[in-house]
Amino acid sequence: MGNLLEVEAKQETFAISLEQPQKKDFLSGAQAMMECLLAEGVDTIFGYPGGAIMPTYDALYDYIDRLNHILVRHEQGAGHAAQGYARVSGKTGVCLVTSGPGGTNLITPIADAIIDCTPLVCIVGQVKSTLLGTDAFQETDMIGVTTPVCKWNYQITSADEVPEIMAKAFYIAQTGKPGPVVIDFTRDAQANKMTEKFEYRKVNKLVTYRPRIVPKQDQIEKAAELINKAKRPYILFGHGVLIADAVQELLEFVEKTDMPCASTLLGLSAMPIDHPNYMGWLGMHGMYAPNVMTDQCDVLIAIGMRFDDRVTGDSTKFAKQAKIVHIEIDPSEIEKIKKTEAPVVGDAKEALKMLMPLVKKGDFTGWKNEFRKLDAREHQKVTLRDLKGEGKIKMAEVVAMLSDKTNGEACIVVDVGQHQMVAARYYQFRKPHSYIASGGLGTMGFAIPASFGAKMGAPHREVVGIIGDGCFQMTIQELGTIAQSGLAVKMIILNNNYLGMVRQWQQLFFDNRYSFVELKNPDFITIAKGFGIEGHTCSERETLSDSLDKMLKSDKAYLLEVLVEKEENVFPMVPAGTSVSEIRLE
Amino acid sequence: MTTYTICVFTENSIGLLNKITIIFTRRRINIESLTVSETERKGISRFTIVIKHDKREEVEKLVRQIRKIVEVAAVFGYLNEDIVYNEIALYKISTPIDGKVIDVENINKVHKAWVVYWGLDYVVIEKTGTEREIFDFFKYIKPHGIIEFVRSGRVAVGKTPQGLIEYLPEEIAEWEYYL
Repeated sequence: MGNLLEVEAKQETFAISLEQPQKKDFLSGAQAMMECLLAEGVDTIFGYPGGAIMPTYDALYDYIDRLNHILVRHEQGAGHAAQGYARVSGKTGVCLVTSGPGGTNLITPIADAIIDCTPLVCIVGQVKSTLLGTDAFQETDMIGVTTPVCKWNYQITSADEVPEIMAKAFYIAQTGKPGPVVIDFTRDAQANKMTEKFEYRKVNKLVTYRPRIVPKQDQIEKAAELINKAKRPYILFGHGVLIADAVQELLEFVEKTDMPCASTLLGLSAMPIDHPNYMGWLGMHGMYAPNVMTDQCDVLIAIGMRFDDRVTGDSTKFAKQAKIVHIEIDPSEIEKIKKTEAPVVGDAKEALKMLMPLVKKGDFTGWKNEFRKLDAREHQKVTLRDLKGEGKIKMAEVVAMLSDKTNGEACIVVDVGQHQMVAARYYQFRKPHSYIASGGLGTMGFAIPASFGAKMGAPHREVVGIIGDGCFQMTIQELGTIAQSGLAVKMIILNNNYLGMVRQWQQLFFDNRYSFVELKNPDFITIAKGFGIEGHTCSERETLSDSLDKMLKSDKAYLLEVLVEKEENVFPMVPAGTSVSEIRLE
Repeated sequence: MTTYTICVFTENSIGLLNKITIIFTRRRINIESLTVSETERKGISRFTIVIKHDKREEVEKLVRQIRKIVEVAAVFGYLNEDIVYNEIALYKISTPIDGKVIDVENINKVHKAWVVYWGLDYVVIEKTGTEREIFDFFKYIKPHGIIEFVRSGRVAVGKTPQGLIEYLPEEIAEWEYYL
């Protein structure tokens, strides 16, 4: 007996000498979660509480001074807000929601984030692990439901797992091709204490997941050789340039080679619009020259883009005369759509840095002039018509005037539809990370939450949401979030009382059969006022300038509704499934 | 249609089967057979998936998509001529007292099949071989009355002199052998 007591006494000394706290002092899973967020440098969370996430919200109560939590009105709002935040700041957006409907309401933003490569960590409550699979109250199989639409998911069932899994979650969300990570957090894992001291080790390497950042030298050399031989080269850059923070490298590359370049929709703002080598953006409603010239170039240098069908039209006819250099971080994108002569797998920033010393300056004056000649045609046929200033106000006039008044430096958050395309066409972007849109998924309702998310991510920038009347009503409840959080978000509704893009297609391709596209809208300004947000309606061209000034001068959130031409069409347009050569200007 | 065998090395964790098969579902590719088990490296599973497809480039895209799953360490796609492969089948054959006698010697020598269990009025025969060999034997034994038949998925190893382990990340190659 004496010996045994001695052993016990020794163990006690050992424990004390390591300064291990008593078990009752170990952090709970929920507290550990808060510590993980702080360790990852998170300062903002978008969320909505509920039953299965309550232990985490209780822990959050003690962290209010360090973690700014924005209470949304619907979980979809939390997701899009986190996207807006991530897109403008480059940081990972964090959402915190409850199980069941809380999680399923987050599915749309998760699907949006995976297709537009936005880093999110979504922490979703789950029923107690003992209740899993019993159809418990608010139980949804979030792992099953999110698997096809997220980059990674994991169910935490023990408090001890929290630090390791969260470190992995943030690493996976923000490296390689960024994307959403879903953490399914059971209620007992939140409430229970850890059995060991909390320790956070950031992950910077995983055995089975190793995105290539620095490209292989031989791929770079092959690409450089092709680039240097080009007589009619054409650089197409996408969202990858912004994600990789390669704006400066792209500029240097373009200036050294003196090649013409154009962006995809999500690549907008990576290049200042007035740069002499920048030819505009391409795609279904993109600009005329950038689209048509894909049929003329001999080498296409694609950087951080993925040949989306809204870019290529009929991909079998897209740039089929050209040899393609494809710089892309995700190897599964190489040759997914287009045969590629020189693939370069790696980060756009690293790839451009490595290419720089190998590429030569060429004389492409004549080639660039061909773009400019086509521009003149578009200007004549489309731009002048859009900005003519006759009849009802056109969407283009509003955007162009906003662009002038903000000197092209605002962060423009758009929804989905005609206004999205018009904003892309007429806003003169001069600062990177300034066009925040749901590109791949085309999620209506994106803009209200994404704009206050963007304002959180860039508080010192002017953030203006340009939103359609249909889209506005999809997440209209988030006006409450904007009012409560006191964010000075500016919103413009371009109201044509139609689902304009669908109406345009019905007019052009469905024989004017307007099937369920006309909207009887509410009084948006009264609604905004009900939420405590100031606003007014502009219906006359004469008052448009003053209206925009009033909105921009407000130091609070503001809603400007502009009544625009009802049946306006957006051109140019490459009809779906056709080749870019069939682009229509009217 | 060409038969492809896809070997996937993954972490042995919950939900991976779903993460992998969902990639086939999304592209409307049917899985002909699937075998999963842990490899000789602790914590690493090996999936052997057989599909039929008429476009090689689509299979290559599929392989790259599978590789994208975070827990997947490596993926290899093979044509039949690149691999040594086999399946195993069990046949429960009725042997009533007044029935036709089973020619065990012929079964052993010609068909390389073995009786692995003798019941009162039935036997269970095991046969390994390719899909074709298994079905050839099925035809041979059918007249005796097949009570039950089951065929496994394919297992396969490449014909290269190296083991696939050599293509896995270094850390995995260093992990202890299971036994």
